[in-house]
Amino acid sequence: MKKGYSGGSALPADKRAQLTRGTDDALNAQARARTGVRAAQTGRRIVQNVWWPMVSIVVALALLISAVVVAYARTGDGSHGVSGASGAGAHSHISIGLQLAPTNLDIRQTSGTALDQLLIGNVYEALLTRNEDNTVSPGLAQSWEVSADRLTYTFHLNAGMTFSNGDTLDASDVVWSIRSMMEGHLQGSNGVANFASVSAPDARTVVLKLSKPYSELLWNLSGRSGLVFDEQALSGADGSGADASGADGSGADRSGSAYDAKTQALGSGPYVLSAYEPGVSATLTARTKYWGEQALNRRAHIQTITVRYFADPQAGLNAFTSGDVQVLAPISGTLTGAIQNDARFTYKTGDGTDKYVLAFNNATGGGSAADGTAGVLKDKRVRQAIRYAIDENAIIASRGGTDAPLGGPIPSLDPGYEDLTGLYPTDVEKARTLLAEAGYSTSHPLRLRLMYANTYPAEIGQQLRSQLARVGIDLNVQRVEFATWLSTVYKQRDFDISMVDHNESHDFAQWANPEYYYGYDNADVQKLYAQAMEAVTDSERDSLLARAARLVSEDAAADWIMNYRVVTAWDKRVRGFPLTMNQVNMPLWNVTFGTESAGAAGSSVQGGAQTARAAGADTATAAAQGGVR
Amino acid sequence: MILRSLIRRWDGLLPLIFVVLWALVGLVSLLWTPYALTDTDGYSVWAAPSAAHVLGTDGAGADIATWLMAGSATEFAIVVAVIALTAVLGVGGVALSVAHSARVRSVSVLVIDALISIPTVVIALILAAPAGASVLAVILACSIVYALNLMRVVRPAAAAAARSQYVVYARYKGVSEWRIFVQHILPQVMPSVIITVSHSAATAILAESGLTYLGIGVPAHVASWGQSLATAARFVTLHPATAIWPGLLITVAVIALNILGDAVRECADPLTNPLLRGDRTQEVKN
Amino acid sequence: MRTSISRTVARILQRLALFALMLWIVSVVIFLALRVLPGDVAAIVAGTNSTQAQYEALRTQLGLDQPLIVQYGRWLGQVISSLWTGDLGTSLITGEAMSTRLASRAAVTFPLILLSMVIALVVGIWTAVASLTSPRAWVRDGLRVLAQVCGAVPALWAGLLLILAFGRGSGLLGVLPTQGFSSDSLVSAAASLLLPALSVGLITGAQFSRYTRSALLEVEKDDYLTWSMAAGMTYAQAVRSTGLRLATPQIISVAGVTFASMITGVLTVESLFNLPGLATILLSDISERDLPAVQTELLLLAAFFLAVGFVIDVVQAWLDPRMAGVSRGTEVQS
Repeated sequence: MKKGYSGGSALPADKRAQLTRGTDDALNAQARARTGVRAAQTGRRIVQNVWWPMVSIVVALALLISAVVVAYARTGDGSHGVSGASGAGAHSHISIGLQLAPTNLDIRQTSGTALDQLLIGNVYEALLTRNEDNTVSPGLAQSWEVSADRLTYTFHLNAGMTFSNGDTLDASDVVWSIRSMMEGHLQGSNGVANFASVSAPDARTVVLKLSKPYSELLWNLSGRSGLVFDEQALSGADGSGADASGADGSGADRSGSAYDAKTQALGSGPYVLSAYEPGVSATLTARTKYWGEQALNRRAHIQTITVRYFADPQAGLNAFTSGDVQVLAPISGTLTGAIQNDARFTYKTGDGTDKYVLAFNNATGGGSAADGTAGVLKDKRVRQAIRYAIDENAIIASRGGTDAPLGGPIPSLDPGYEDLTGLYPTDVEKARTLLAEAGYSTSHPLRLRLMYANTYPAEIGQQLRSQLARVGIDLNVQRVEFATWLSTVYKQRDFDISMVDHNESHDFAQWANPEYYYGYDNADVQKLYAQAMEAVTDSERDSLLARAARLVSEDAAADWIMNYRVVTAWDKRVRGFPLTMNQVNMPLWNVTFGTESAGAAGSSVQGGAQTARAAGADTATAAAQGGVR
Repeated sequence: MILRSLIRRWDGLLPLIFVVLWALVGLVSLLWTPYALTDTDGYSVWAAPSAAHVLGTDGAGADIATWLMAGSATEFAIVVAVIALTAVLGVGGVALSVAHSARVRSVSVLVIDALISIPTVVIALILAAPAGASVLAVILACSIVYALNLMRVVRPAAAAAARSQYVVYARYKGVSEWRIFVQHILPQVMPSVIITVSHSAATAILAESGLTYLGIGVPAHVASWGQSLATAARFVTLHPATAIWPGLLITVAVIALNILGDAVRECADPLTNPLLRGDRTQEVKN
Repeated sequence: MRTSISRTVARILQRLALFALMLWIVSVVIFLALRVLPGDVAAIVAGTNSTQAQYEALRTQLGLDQPLIVQYGRWLGQVISSLWTGDLGTSLITGEAMSTRLASRAAVTFPLILLSMVIALVVGIWTAVASLTSPRAWVRDGLRVLAQVCGAVPALWAGLLLILAFGRGSGLLGVLPTQGFSSDSLVSAAASLLLPALSVGLITGAQFSRYTRSALLEVEKDDYLTWSMAAGMTYAQAVRSTGLRLATPQIISVAGVTFASMITGVLTVESLFNLPGLATILLSDISERDLPAVQTELLLLAAFFLAVGFVIDVVQAWLDPRMAGVSRGTEVQS
């Protein structure tokens, strides 16, 4: 900040002119100032008042910057975030970067698969475990039987199960969890259709009765529908236990084992949630005494796991390459180039059940009365034209080519899958012909609105607009907040075309429910679906669902842009991170980081994903003895 | 007269040339662009500059040069609209805040000072939420905030003018309040209105880029420089080159508007422009 | 001038009443404006796989079925009572106490704003002085041009360029973190804030430099600089000591305005650098329709800006008695 203190000679010409104005004037003026012009005194007061803070600010800033530079010069090798390394190369801490953060932790009230991802299998446990291949195996229930009429399910629970606060988990907790879920219409209650009753003949047996067969029940019980909560702890916090605290019942009273379900989580899983900052991070700490170590042969390998959320893909990538997180799921397909040639990292695409559904308004047919196009989407030719016009492969390619084409409502991991991509291949000419029959062309385009939430990329809308423009559809793309989408499309059904990533698994019911926002009302599909739900064997169910799905797709009730697949990137020292469906189901107990000695890790830690699958297979065999699957 | 003195000075001529070019490119883009705005090619995303795509392609496989060209039209429209709306709203607010009626005066001042504490972003958010982001929402949000700012900046000078002898006399003669404002007060504050409005135009361009990045500015299917910058921002570490042009354009446009605003003010002010005083012998220095 | 204490007290009380009145106006405007937003928090919580009964139950539970006036009254009551209880209620969506939520976010945003402001002040004042006093003409002109150019850069672009230049893992020099906020230590916290603060601070500093320069030129029109030089100072010394001192009130006033206008830049930069600050929760709360939380956040922001204006007026009056009684915007003229 030093500058030359050269004299008047360096002055700009006009300044010098000012100076040469007689010295007398200046002296006079100064004298005047001394004799009491307030302004001059003010100037002097400022001298004392202003320079102190100025100088100290400058000094503070200089110190700060130098401290930062020094600190980072010393630790610049990119190994940040890996604190508390223990032993020879094995780490007891790992950070995982995810994208979608749950809005809160209340898994019984709040929707969103981000909650399932974080909590199920880690903090909360369900009656059954969902495996990586989307099948079920024993969980809290070690075995089960199904009656011949498929109306009574009997579950035999493991012995010695406990919640992380020490409370025992037995049949009464299971009964309470299911019963309160059904009575309160809580999340997961949809998953126990035709529910009749639930009871506990003894502490280790639960009997669930249905009024009509429902073939999705077991799978559903491996998710939210089957989660078991600690009755004492939850009801204490609800404020419903009026005996506990005063009248305010604000949930502020956290005496005893009560917890606030929105900001805390308390379950029976291998991890406890030790810290949580909404939208930013969550910390999981291994339980000291996890009941499943013997019963399920599961043990948390890493002591603490920090989950960090990066809404921005670039942000996630930066955190990953700089070593702040050791796993990143998902990494955007277009960003994998950044780590392709980095020897430290590897990445792999995993299957999932995300369906990018471009849904038509089947109920009203969309369009607008103003230009005489009201109900235009009821014309099957228009819907078919749109399906022919869209080049799904181009969209997939532009995203890095990791996603899979999807021709119908059921993705490959779900029952009833069949490759339907051949039904409507990209065929611009056919699309033009169909549209012409319906009375539209590039010179007389059909105006339609596409509304979708701004959580999905702008590029998709841009590409759809471009592709449909070729055949004579002027697509007005409205990318709005998710709340606006919920209100306008989902509730008010005020839309022509909508796009959402429906990432839930086993969700074909949407197409058999005319009340859903798709407004798709097809009696054949509904009949097939009902039959599938009452099917005796899984293969029977699957073929019925496949027939229904084909009908929906042939009818062009929607266009399925793609089956979004998650690319997971990880530090090569990390093993055992689930790759399939990890945005919905992400059990972390098997994850290791670094070279853990074989003896300590037990036999199951060497193969990453394969290990998890092997463990799944073991337990599946155990399940076979129990009866189904 | 103002224009003539403007083009005789470099700090008038250069930015003027830029603005004219900008408007021309915008006009041309309405008729012709290298590619159609809706053209995308999913198989060649993030392509490097080539003969086919002078500046390469973006994440949807669209031609970057096309989008920048079309963006200049949007940007120009935003600037013109913000200038007009800010001036109208702002001057109207000033008129209220120096009104003869003490009640109107103090209530309007109070409301202006209270509302100015709501940031642009929030107004844009509220305007953008119901129907999704739109150019109109950006224009309205910027105009409202900058008009409030203009009211506050210009008010002291306007208040001083309102106390002048001309106004007292005019009022005594029964001239209407509105005529008093237009004839006696407005000319007095015109230079500072011009400078504030021109800065608003420049700030609007900056605000547009920020709002668009946050998803509440220009909608995704409309081209704008902020749009191009926001698109580039998400993949900047992989494709840094795509961020250069939109950023540069925005910066140059803002500089041009700032300099032009200063120059116009000086040229429009009889105190600093001898030409306006009919004095042809003296040329403007600087 | 008889500056009696009672007059001062009366003035302060008057200003406080005015402050409260303005906040009330803002609270009404914010409340009504937010009701325009489509959708509600219950729909967000319920998601796309819920029944109407489930949605209605959530609405009741969250108090969304109450009349607007009741909702407004409840919120205002909560805000007013928080003045002595410190309890701002809980967020509808995350269930956290609003006070802790705001505090943890403010711990990121306010240091960011302050650091940016310090950078802006240091850069701005130094370049302004140097652009007047440097002995080399090209330095003087160069700084002027630089101030003009840097002041015109969008904050987003500045952030991007800084990431490309210094970002760890991606940049040319690869030293500084570009993502998130690490509160492990003071050093790491400062490091996470450095690039974001520079993106905003350098731009604001450049704008600031132009204002300061014109303020110094304004001062030069008076004779104080000439006297100082007559007393033996060089021009540079005169500008640096006398000129700067006399321009201080104006500089502070400009600083206040600039401070308020930084918020859009800060929002963008928080988002670009993924900082968990006030800006990011404001955006997420709006998108999740947690309206009481949004209202409180906006009201706090508004109160903050109004308070800054208030403090600037007081400081100016204190620094420069000539300015006492002269309106500087936030004061109502009668």
